[in-house]
Amino acid sequence: MERKRGKNGRKQRQDIDWQGVRQRLDAAAGLLDRGVSPEGQKSILKARALALAREPHAEETAGGYLEVLEFLLAYETYGIEMSWVSETLPLKDLTPVPCTPPFVLGLINVRGQIVSVIDIKKFFDLPEKGLTDLNKIIIVHDGGMAFGILADAVCGVRSIPLAELQPSLPTLTGVREEYLKGVTRERTVVLDGRKLLSDRKIIVHEEMED
Amino acid sequence: MMDDDFQKRLLATFKVETKERLAALSSGLIALEKATEHEKRQEILEAVFREAHSMKGAARAVSMAGIESLSHALESVFAQCKRQEIVPSPALFDLLHRTTDTIETHLYSSGADDATAEKSGVRELILSLEKGVKGAPSPPAPPPAPPQPEYRDGPHPEKPAVAGTVRISAGKLDSLLHQAEEMLTAKISARQRAAELDEISAALASWEKEWKKVRPAVRRLRKVQQSPAGRLVTDSDAGQLGKLLAFFDWNHAAVKSLENRVHNLAKAAANDRHLLDGMVDALLGDLKEVLMLPCSTILEVLPKMVRDLGRDRGKEAELAVTGETVEIDKRVLEEMKDPLIHLVRNCIDHGIEKPEERKRRSKPACGRITVAVSLIGTSRIEMVVADDGAGMDTAMLADVAVQQGVITRDEASRMGNEESLELIFKSGVSTSPIITDLSGRGLGLAIVREKVEKLGGTVTVISEPLRGTTFRMVLPLTLSTYRGVLVSVGEQTFIVPSAGVERVARIGKESLKTAENRETVELDGVALSFVRLADLLQIPRKEGDRDDDGLIQLFLIGSGSSRIAFGVDGILGEQEVLVKSLGPQLPRVRNIAGATVLGTGKVATILHPGDLVKSAAKGAAIPAVALSRAEREEVPRKSVLIAEDSITARTLLKNILETAGYRTSTAVDGIDALTQLRTEQIDLVVSDVDMPRMNGFDLTARIRKSREIADLPVVLVTSLDSREDRERGIEAGANAYIVKSSFDQSNLLEVIRRLI
Repeated sequence: MERKRGKNGRKQRQDIDWQGVRQRLDAAAGLLDRGVSPEGQKSILKARALALAREPHAEETAGGYLEVLEFLLAYETYGIEMSWVSETLPLKDLTPVPCTPPFVLGLINVRGQIVSVIDIKKFFDLPEKGLTDLNKIIIVHDGGMAFGILADAVCGVRSIPLAELQPSLPTLTGVREEYLKGVTRERTVVLDGRKLLSDRKIIVHEEMED
Repeated sequence: MMDDDFQKRLLATFKVETKERLAALSSGLIALEKATEHEKRQEILEAVFREAHSMKGAARAVSMAGIESLSHALESVFAQCKRQEIVPSPALFDLLHRTTDTIETHLYSSGADDATAEKSGVRELILSLEKGVKGAPSPPAPPPAPPQPEYRDGPHPEKPAVAGTVRISAGKLDSLLHQAEEMLTAKISARQRAAELDEISAALASWEKEWKKVRPAVRRLRKVQQSPAGRLVTDSDAGQLGKLLAFFDWNHAAVKSLENRVHNLAKAAANDRHLLDGMVDALLGDLKEVLMLPCSTILEVLPKMVRDLGRDRGKEAELAVTGETVEIDKRVLEEMKDPLIHLVRNCIDHGIEKPEERKRRSKPACGRITVAVSLIGTSRIEMVVADDGAGMDTAMLADVAVQQGVITRDEASRMGNEESLELIFKSGVSTSPIITDLSGRGLGLAIVREKVEKLGGTVTVISEPLRGTTFRMVLPLTLSTYRGVLVSVGEQTFIVPSAGVERVARIGKESLKTAENRETVELDGVALSFVRLADLLQIPRKEGDRDDDGLIQLFLIGSGSSRIAFGVDGILGEQEVLVKSLGPQLPRVRNIAGATVLGTGKVATILHPGDLVKSAAKGAAIPAVALSRAEREEVPRKSVLIAEDSITARTLLKNILETAGYRTSTAVDGIDALTQLRTEQIDLVVSDVDMPRMNGFDLTARIRKSREIADLPVVLVTSLDSREDRERGIEAGANAYIVKSSFDQSNLLEVIRRLI
């Protein structure tokens, strides 16, 4: 193995485009020679500072992009606005809670805090589609409510242009419109975090009667 | 610099201070109204005058003009009373009480006290206060208030700076206590770690035993190796053997040194554990002591409440409070505030009769309510709320309960006096003919009982018609650390609050009998209802080793005739438990009181004893007959090993297979599965393909290559749906290949049925 890599290395070294390197160096030197006036420097720095310091404005997200955490669940891609997500975790131990509706999967320990985990597929009454891994938990929260959503995998954060978001297509997903922010061109089903978190139906409050 | 932050803090301090002053004012007013001796009156007047005066100064400092002018008006009324220019009438007392109420509302109305409506309210009050001082020509408009709080009398009543005393907000102390309680988790984990290290030590000891067993063999081999070349082994074999023996020696030394280190570690962990135990207990104890408050904090609202309510209801009642100085855990006090208020309200609303009625019954027109707090021993207190009113009509209670469908007529007729009285604690039973803002909704006493029991206390009631009613609550002095009994049901661990458990027991199977289609057990000569916790909580039963030792483990909860024995798979022990809520999404779950984190880091749910008894009584459990039939079913079950790294998929598969009647065991990956296959009798393997350490293809290949289990059927379940993978699966020797995305229970079961 070692020898082979050595050979490849030599070969690559021969392949280096020295001509191109020199050209790029010259261009850079030329730029440096021309220099930037102190004022120019200042204005560039200022512009950069401003760009960095700028807070994302509400209207910008409203008119522009939606930052969304994408995740896989039963062979479909879902998304939820990042502002509702507090963290994602791998699922290790899940303690089932007896006497709860099927969409309540159980409890997990998040650094000493107990968090309930729900299966949004069951909550939305979506048909069971095959057997999946369900190895990740996305913890969502607003001021008062917090719970974990079980997912097969977390894909990452993506900015979705709002213009790209279209209302649900009834045939595309079983998620009722009330929980839906929209569907993207790539068929990512973006959930409405606010609705989900403030939905009374998700709360289990069952007093024992005499 | 009066920045916003400072202003805010100042305002907060002002609110706390004013609240205290208002409390002092209103109890002063009550005392003043009752006081008959001149000296006593003057003394009280002096005190309330000062309170009003200081309040005025403080209000000015934070520019609360409304409160300032109200305090000022109060001050001048008290001043005139002091000079005996006026004698306060009941109407004036009402007005004064209204004034303190108004100040209190002002205090909480967002701080900005210049809303016009409020302002006009203030003005009106001030005017009537001035008018209330009727026929008082001498004091006209009050002079402008002195700029600085000044104290005319020598020893001023302002809080003397007591050495070594600091004011700390209760919120901060609560947070400290909360943090100290979280330390319990550290304590419990430390215990767990120490126990785990002991287990490793023990495992190493058994290694030592095994080592001793093979030592003669090693010695023998060494002789063989050292024998002249060619006689027993070849040179090269002797060389190999030499290497092996050297490795054996090294191995022994290495494990020995590990054993030593583990042993030391276990000792250190045990030490740490003791240290932590002591520290956490001491910290918690001290903090609890810090959080002890005199009962007066909840009792002081009562006099005014009794007065106001009595007036409103047209009843006369006199309140006698004793035991204000008894100190109790702040959290107990906070929890008891509402129940106490509720009970006292009940006294007026239901207990004390109208004056005419009382006269007819030849009782004094003015009713008497007593609230007495006292210590019982060193760890409990008693809180008694009694009235000398109409008492409760048990027959009527039973009637109402029947009408409201809480009990049946039959049950009612069998009830004794005491049992009927107990009915008032049931929700839905109210003897009040109408629903008022005070009571009559039939919920109050049920909530009182719930709160008291949640604190680990009891509440009882005694009532005699026409003589009065007495509620007696016994409460813990401090909220002791919660202890729980750990029980296992199937593969789950539950915690039953120790306070609710009367006893735990292990009894022979023969004491289990079926009566009226329900199971019962005999314990110490008494027959008790027996309910299996697994059935009650609808948990799939653990298959296999159930009841195989002929013993039934149970715990007993409930009291009196409603005692119920709950059967579990195991009683694991008792430990301290830090109760946590189930989170905002699960504010209340049937049969579950909360959850806690065990030493292993796993979450365990805490059962709700009250609910369990109710659930069991409801007959939520499956009738015994069905159970025993299932039990008698002795058909040998086929066993399936599930190898799957995802916990949910594993649980799902397990449930499907167990429901279909298979015995299951589980493995988290291929290596784990292979280990289990070596030791256990397995009829079929269901395996995931993607797994850490050893995947499903490799597992299948290893099974096929082995001698003992080469024919074992293997079903691969996978998310890989490609021709190549299917072929790879077949190549490895799998009997079936199911793609997860098209997974269907019946499909899997069908495949398994065909294979075994």
